[in-house]
Amino acid sequence: MLLLQVLVNGILLGGLYGIMAIGMSLIWGVMNIVNIAHGPLIMLGAYVTFWTFTLWGWDPFLSLPVTILSLFVYGYLLQRFILNLIVRAQLFLTLLITFGVEVVMVNLARIFWSSDLRQVTPSYAAANFAVGGLTIPYVRLWVFVTTVVVSVIFLLLMERTRLGRAIRATAEELRAARLTGIPVGHIYAVTYGLGAALAGAAGAMWGMLFPITPIMGGALTLKSFVVAVLGGLGTMMGAIVGGLVLGLAESFSSTYIGPTYPNAISFGLLVLILIFRPTGVLGRGEGR
Amino acid sequence: MKRCGFGRRWLGLAVVGLVVTATTAWAADTIVLGTAISQTGKYAREGKFYVDAYQMTVDAINKAGGVKVGGKTYTLELKMYDDQSDPNLCVRLFTRLVTSDKVNFLLGPYSSGITIPASSVSEKYEIPMIQGGGASEKIFDRGYKYIFGTLPKAEFYFQSAIEAATKMNPPVKTAALLYSNEAFDRSVAEGSRQWLKEQKIEKVYDEEYQPATQDFTSILAVIKSRNPDLILLAGHVENSLNFIRQAQASDISPKMWVFTVGPPTADFRKTLGKAAEYVYGVTPWLEDMEVGGEIFRSAKEFGKQFRERFGYEADYHVASGAADVLAYKFAIEKANSLDPKRVRDALASLDVETLYGRVKFDPTGQIAMGQVLIQIQDGKLVPVYVAGKMVGKPLYPMPKWGQRK
Repeated sequence: MLLLQVLVNGILLGGLYGIMAIGMSLIWGVMNIVNIAHGPLIMLGAYVTFWTFTLWGWDPFLSLPVTILSLFVYGYLLQRFILNLIVRAQLFLTLLITFGVEVVMVNLARIFWSSDLRQVTPSYAAANFAVGGLTIPYVRLWVFVTTVVVSVIFLLLMERTRLGRAIRATAEELRAARLTGIPVGHIYAVTYGLGAALAGAAGAMWGMLFPITPIMGGALTLKSFVVAVLGGLGTMMGAIVGGLVLGLAESFSSTYIGPTYPNAISFGLLVLILIFRPTGVLGRGEGR
Repeated sequence: MKRCGFGRRWLGLAVVGLVVTATTAWAADTIVLGTAISQTGKYAREGKFYVDAYQMTVDAINKAGGVKVGGKTYTLELKMYDDQSDPNLCVRLFTRLVTSDKVNFLLGPYSSGITIPASSVSEKYEIPMIQGGGASEKIFDRGYKYIFGTLPKAEFYFQSAIEAATKMNPPVKTAALLYSNEAFDRSVAEGSRQWLKEQKIEKVYDEEYQPATQDFTSILAVIKSRNPDLILLAGHVENSLNFIRQAQASDISPKMWVFTVGPPTADFRKTLGKAAEYVYGVTPWLEDMEVGGEIFRSAKEFGKQFRERFGYEADYHVASGAADVLAYKFAIEKANSLDPKRVRDALASLDVETLYGRVKFDPTGQIAMGQVLIQIQDGKLVPVYVAGKMVGKPLYPMPKWGQRK
């Protein structure tokens, strides 16, 4: 029974990790930007949800579109006016500038919203149900379902629309994309906006489960990085698979090896994957 | 309007007077207590608690007749520098206090990190330092003879909770112990194991976790399968918050659970809301405690005077700081001398009742004191158990989540 509960816990947590990492994987895959500001985008999403919930009493699941939209706009502007300046520069420069964005975001959040711990607490926050001896919290289940829905919508957007094709074309062959008349600057901004929107959605759900603070992002950037690499860069399903792998690894190692080991296990797993499958579990053979 | 202006002028004069007394050389019949404590920098907030506590206690002692040594009455005086929350500056300032200001005795700075280097100054010059702002065992495990501390040991954090657990109805039989792998929390766990053994409570779970842990669901699943009566958690506030919220979502409620930090703070109660009800915590001191002694007859009276003078509530930092100054008064009178070595010996064997509780140092110099067990009842902190007896009515066992209103 414990085994089953741990399995369920791992899967539910893994879904959240998955949606956290899709945005990072997308931005990395398309623009070759390792977005250090990814965690703070999750933080921003969490705060948007927190404030709409606290000030106007909006349900955190129903305010999801608002969170996603505001993060999209924020991400679009950020890329259009700042990150586009360095998008084809060396990796080191992109690291530096996203790091700068991270520092500014974290400190502004600290100034405006203080370092107090916050939490989104809808009345059903702790509700749960029991099935055959397993306890399943509703919020975690809905978070998982939402993750799946958002990911599917996103996948369809990437695979079935003109916009998605334009993004993929830009990622695959920049010069050809330009020649066919794709406005690259705009596409980059849309891509970053989408990445930010997904991070925002992840943040909204994170805030329902864990406390929100201005500095929560750092650890989440790292987690998203691990998940994105585990699953394989640029493939959206890869992030979901990577998330599930990490969720399960953490859950099982915490239970059967000891609660101090999850990080060692996750990063150990990362090293193993990089050695034996450098492109990730679902990564394409040739790599980027 | 007129009255107001008059008052202000007197206040101005008083300030000038204070500055003058602070800068002129002290007369022979004063005992000078020197300290370098954080008034700016990252510890400014906590540092202020001690600055105010020291000042108020010095004034109260002087008002009550000062300190009597060899038939002569001395008044206490404070010599204070701002260490800017910087351990290096603090060490330099303490050296200056000892070598050029030639103060009689030392009061501590704030935080374990600063106290560890600062206490080396007192040891080197063989002048006692009593400090109320550092609890780490690293301050006391170096065999120093001149450092004394009034914050309780980490090992004692859960002593009162575990004792109280056996006196509940029905008594606690099994316990789960979970702690972060930081030095302080490990010490708390080490002590807890000993108290659990002493009280014959069976330990069904004993694990450490990383302080950065957010998700406790897997840990909770294991704890649930062992079904303990009591859960003890030693960790950061954020850990406690996550643990409680996730326990609620996983429908886990033991008969009693106790957390090291968090429950005494308003932030903790606000963030958890109703889920904070029935939670137990520990604190060395509460204004409602039935303690008192010379100078301040009761904790309540101390709290009231403090509030009136400084406009905010006294917490355990403040009371601990006040106890430091009081300890000097009693030790100096007991030694009947101003000789640092004699006063040091008097401190080592001191045993007095104060507003902070019983001040008695163990051989390492740290106060031998337990914690007050408190419970959050209806959003308020209620003292439940202190110094071997039940002082309040605990709400026990904790109702299951589904049965709460």
